[in-house]
Amino acid sequence: MPEDPERKAGIIACSGEELAEGTVSRLAALKVLDSLRPHDTVTLCLPLFVAGGSEDRTFARLHPTITVDGCDLRCAARATELYSNKPAVSLVVNELVAERQLGKPEGRRQLNDAGKQAVEVTAERLAELVDTVLGQARPVSDAAGGAGAPAQREKGGGNCACRSGSAA
Amino acid sequence: MTRTKQRVVVVPCSGIGKALGSVSREAAYELCENLRPHVTELVALSKLVMGDNASRETVARNPCVAIDGCQRSCASKLVKQSGGMRTHTARVLDALRRHKGLKAEGIAELNDAGQKLARVMAEELVETVDALGASGAAKGATYA
Amino acid sequence: MPEGLEMTAGKFTFRVPEDRLYTAEGIWVLSDVDRPSNHIRVGLTDYLQQHSGDVAFAFVKPSGARLSANEILAEVETIKTLLELPSPVAGTVAEVNPALDLTPEVINQDPYGEGWLATLEPTDWGADRAALMTPREYISLIQSLVEEELKKP
Repeated sequence: MPEDPERKAGIIACSGEELAEGTVSRLAALKVLDSLRPHDTVTLCLPLFVAGGSEDRTFARLHPTITVDGCDLRCAARATELYSNKPAVSLVVNELVAERQLGKPEGRRQLNDAGKQAVEVTAERLAELVDTVLGQARPVSDAAGGAGAPAQREKGGGNCACRSGSAA
Repeated sequence: MTRTKQRVVVVPCSGIGKALGSVSREAAYELCENLRPHVTELVALSKLVMGDNASRETVARNPCVAIDGCQRSCASKLVKQSGGMRTHTARVLDALRRHKGLKAEGIAELNDAGQKLARVMAEELVETVDALGASGAAKGATYA
Repeated sequence: MPEGLEMTAGKFTFRVPEDRLYTAEGIWVLSDVDRPSNHIRVGLTDYLQQHSGDVAFAFVKPSGARLSANEILAEVETIKTLLELPSPVAGTVAEVNPALDLTPEVINQDPYGEGWLATLEPTDWGADRAALMTPREYISLIQSLVEEELKKP
């Protein structure tokens, strides 16, 4: 079996639907996956750690992971450590919001302006952390194709742990 | 004796890699925020994954609707593992088969067809929620 | 899952059983299990089903349909794309997997087992067989396809 030469960081977002901060975690993760660091990251589906096969857990054991949680419950960080391996880095949205003195994100379905700002800040921080765990150093907005609106990955491009899309 | 409220717990898929996960989430929001706001409660799947005791107890003690995005069926599996005994499972793939023209695309932002599919799913689930809630009341189900 | 070869790219693992042959389009062909000796069974490979996403619908030409090699045998619509799958042989459709009607996602869940598409009665198995790929040839093809994907911006 060929060795996989690609080293990528696995991003695991809590995506908690109960809070706006969960929405922020999800959108920030998607921004990093789709436009900020598309070649350096994959997403791992948190529920698949329990409900799926061993592939996601195995990936998380062999590659560095970064968890993005909405709140102090830290579901993504704790579940990743419980089922696979301790994440290389853990980010918590409400802590980052407090640290940067941003407004409170609201609207779990449609984020308010503060929520959208939190997405940008969280995504930038995530991208920096991806560079750190992969041992790379470059500007946050440096990605193939440059920064911009997140590309839709739907057609032939998903990096979802659920195996849809290409293997890239 | 204090009377407690009956609620139907709604647990959507948390997948962020496919439009199906976004449809599941939107359908849950539509159901819990617009169509049946006073008789439903949305529980995040991530809390069940992590084993949050309060969430597990909520699932175990109330009727549930699990909305699965794809054929991996994470929401329904985790609800069952958390002790959900009276659970109805809805699948976005099945809704897509019933409404073939509504091809959902987009993850961070669902396209119009995806939004419509989510609304249709939520509307189809109203009857189920009403039935689960009524049977829960009859059996004395309580919401902690 | 039958024994076979595996190829891993990132967190994706693609399985290629060694008991069957393959087409470049991602169809597997099995010729020697529990059926009249001149029948073959076909289905989607693990690579193709993973690449294409969750199957929403699967339509296979009905039993009795006669096809030439490479004529469209089935259409599989996933949440991402529509696949038109050419028949790997010239012949007649003997049987269509009844599970595809109500649960086509079986193609994703068990592509080499319960997710089979159809059995066919080949007209000239010897000639068509020669054009198929061995498991090692197919896994090499997958590797080059994955490398191409990784090069894309």
